[in-house]
Amino acid sequence: MTRSRPRSIVTASALAAATLVGIAATAAPAALAQDTTLRVAMGSPGEAAIRVWDDVAKQFETSHPGVKVEMNYMQDDLYEQIGLQQLLAGRNAPDIYFEWTGSRMRQRVADGYAADLTEAAAGPLAPLFDPAVFNAATVDGKVVLVPYSADVTNVLWYNKQLLADNGVEPPTTFDELLAACDKLSAAGIIPIASGNKDLWAAGNWFSHMASRVVGEDVYDQTLAGNGKFDTPDWETAFGYIAQLRDHKCVNDSANAIDDNEGAQLFFQGKAAMHMIGSWLVSWAIDEAPQLDFDFVNLPAMPDGAKGNQDSVIGVETGYMVNAKSQNIPLAVEFLALLNSPENAQRFIDEAEIQPLAHSTTTAAVDARSTRLQELLNNAPAIVLPPDTGYDLKMANALFSAEAAVLGNQQSPADALKGIDSQLGR
Amino acid sequence: MKPARRITPWLFLAPGLLVFGAAVLLPMVLTMGYSLVDWNGFGPMEWVGLDNYARALRDPAFLGSFVHVLVYIGATLILEVLVGLGLAGLVSMRKGGLWFRVAIFAPVMLPMVVVAVLWSFVYNPDFGLLNGFLAATGLEGLQRIWLGDPSVALLAISVVSGWVYAGFYMMIFYAAFRQVPAEVVEAARLDGAGEWALFRRVKVPMIRNVTAVAVLLCVTGGFQGFDLFFVLTNGGPYGTTEIPTTLLVRTVFRNGEVGYGSAMAVLLTAIVVGVGLIYVQAQGRAARRNVGARPGVGTGAGE
Repeated sequence: MTRSRPRSIVTASALAAATLVGIAATAAPAALAQDTTLRVAMGSPGEAAIRVWDDVAKQFETSHPGVKVEMNYMQDDLYEQIGLQQLLAGRNAPDIYFEWTGSRMRQRVADGYAADLTEAAAGPLAPLFDPAVFNAATVDGKVVLVPYSADVTNVLWYNKQLLADNGVEPPTTFDELLAACDKLSAAGIIPIASGNKDLWAAGNWFSHMASRVVGEDVYDQTLAGNGKFDTPDWETAFGYIAQLRDHKCVNDSANAIDDNEGAQLFFQGKAAMHMIGSWLVSWAIDEAPQLDFDFVNLPAMPDGAKGNQDSVIGVETGYMVNAKSQNIPLAVEFLALLNSPENAQRFIDEAEIQPLAHSTTTAAVDARSTRLQELLNNAPAIVLPPDTGYDLKMANALFSAEAAVLGNQQSPADALKGIDSQLGR
Repeated sequence: MKPARRITPWLFLAPGLLVFGAAVLLPMVLTMGYSLVDWNGFGPMEWVGLDNYARALRDPAFLGSFVHVLVYIGATLILEVLVGLGLAGLVSMRKGGLWFRVAIFAPVMLPMVVVAVLWSFVYNPDFGLLNGFLAATGLEGLQRIWLGDPSVALLAISVVSGWVYAGFYMMIFYAAFRQVPAEVVEAARLDGAGEWALFRRVKVPMIRNVTAVAVLLCVTGGFQGFDLFFVLTNGGPYGTTEIPTTLLVRTVFRNGEVGYGSAMAVLLTAIVVGVGLIYVQAQGRAARRNVGARPGVGTGAGE
């Protein structure tokens, strides 16, 4: 799937937005004579971000007497797989909930859990954002999500010292990557750490590789259910996974350890490179402050690849308002407060998160984060991750097949036939 | 004695029936209902009749999950029940051994998720205790990617299960051994029986009904296993530790196939209940055959 991305715009209307939010916040209390609970649900954003969220909730309660903001932070995988569905089906369903744009967001719309936020996006939320960020949050012409952040789902992180010590340049092509793997393996260093027990970590990497080989449109169509995986192009793409395996690019334990354990191999200097998303920056700063690391985008695939070799895999996330909520106007006000320039700045300063909302300054938390944001903003093509951009059953089948090829359990051809068979194609 | 009013017994029964109905019957009926529709849990339902059942019976992942759980049950019968029986025999040989019993029983008191996280550190192929120990003792050749190698992952999980529940079964068997009449033990000793013969020929036969219950608990509990698998491997590597419960959760909550998952749940329930009933009936027949034989200890006939 090819989409043009908005260019990041410096916040020109921050003051106006702050004023607007202030007005909205102070105008509301009169209408709230009786106690109201505003429920907000999300996967855990980390301790530092939780402190900011809790403070935003307090700010809202202070400016809205009679309103209690109930925050529900759930373990990430639990939230994605089971938690949100359970909450939405429950009696005390959240008024505001975190969601990924793409297939999941469209499913919420289809299931009737997405309030139409078009007016809010053009009204109180408008000064807080670059208007283009609402593109990905729009379904059938209606804005259904208030954008929060945009994550690059996968880039190649590398340990500068380890690469330099072994005379390896950060690879920019697939062939360079294989050569680097050979050199690092010979030196007894794991070339690329991956923790793929839950299938998405290497799954997103290999899927991005596949999109570069088969082309973004074919990738999008196939993952959307409009085509088979068992084609020569997909087989070529899966063949590159086999090459990575044969060159011992990835730790033998990849399919047995989770993403955290995979990252530890990188943090502790056992692995020279690591394929994961933009969230590694704050994670590494926190857990491996001495680590000198940087990133390059996924290396370009060899000649014959049909996709854009500068594509970026990434996804915009944000907060939806439950269409069944009794507190939709209140929820919009809360989201406006959350995305006020002051609070956006606090997420940068205190939680090392770069929100999409305009902050009070243009400084980002880390130069690498800024470059990641630029990479996404300037990408000639954006590829959606299978597990958040498309149907989860399809993503699971694709990820399982990729893991099987990596683990030498199936040939590329058999793995691809298996996906089609599993999906009834 | 007849009640004054016919409604009186029902009034006494009502609270229990209400709780049972709401907590057990209603979910069962709803699950059976969902198994007949195609539904993602939120949107409209589409009636598909028995299609979900037909699909389950053709689904290699679902059928394979039963093979895996049967292997797991077989392994845990040894690692939990048999080891528990042996440990109980050891601790009942002489007085004391309280701390030994407490130590062996302690893992039972830990939440299974905590156990699973602890053992994920033990099994970690790169930083884990087990591979570290093997390296330190010059046994590098035995190192494995314990939870990533399809040939050992299921056994590795079974070992954790054994580590937890051997203590549980040890306590059950220990309590049963304590009920074996002292005069029988004394008589055996006077006849020259050693500890091993006493254990094998006197104590174990006399607690056979308790053993039967332990086996039943182990088998039915094995079918219900979930948390260890979910945390340690989540069905991997390559589906080799996928058991019906993990597959069911993935189907319902990750893939959003509530109808199909419900059909799986109904089939799983039917199989567990069926296995339980067959086992209990077989035990009943065996007990009836033994009526008049030596009295057993614990539950069942002969007492």
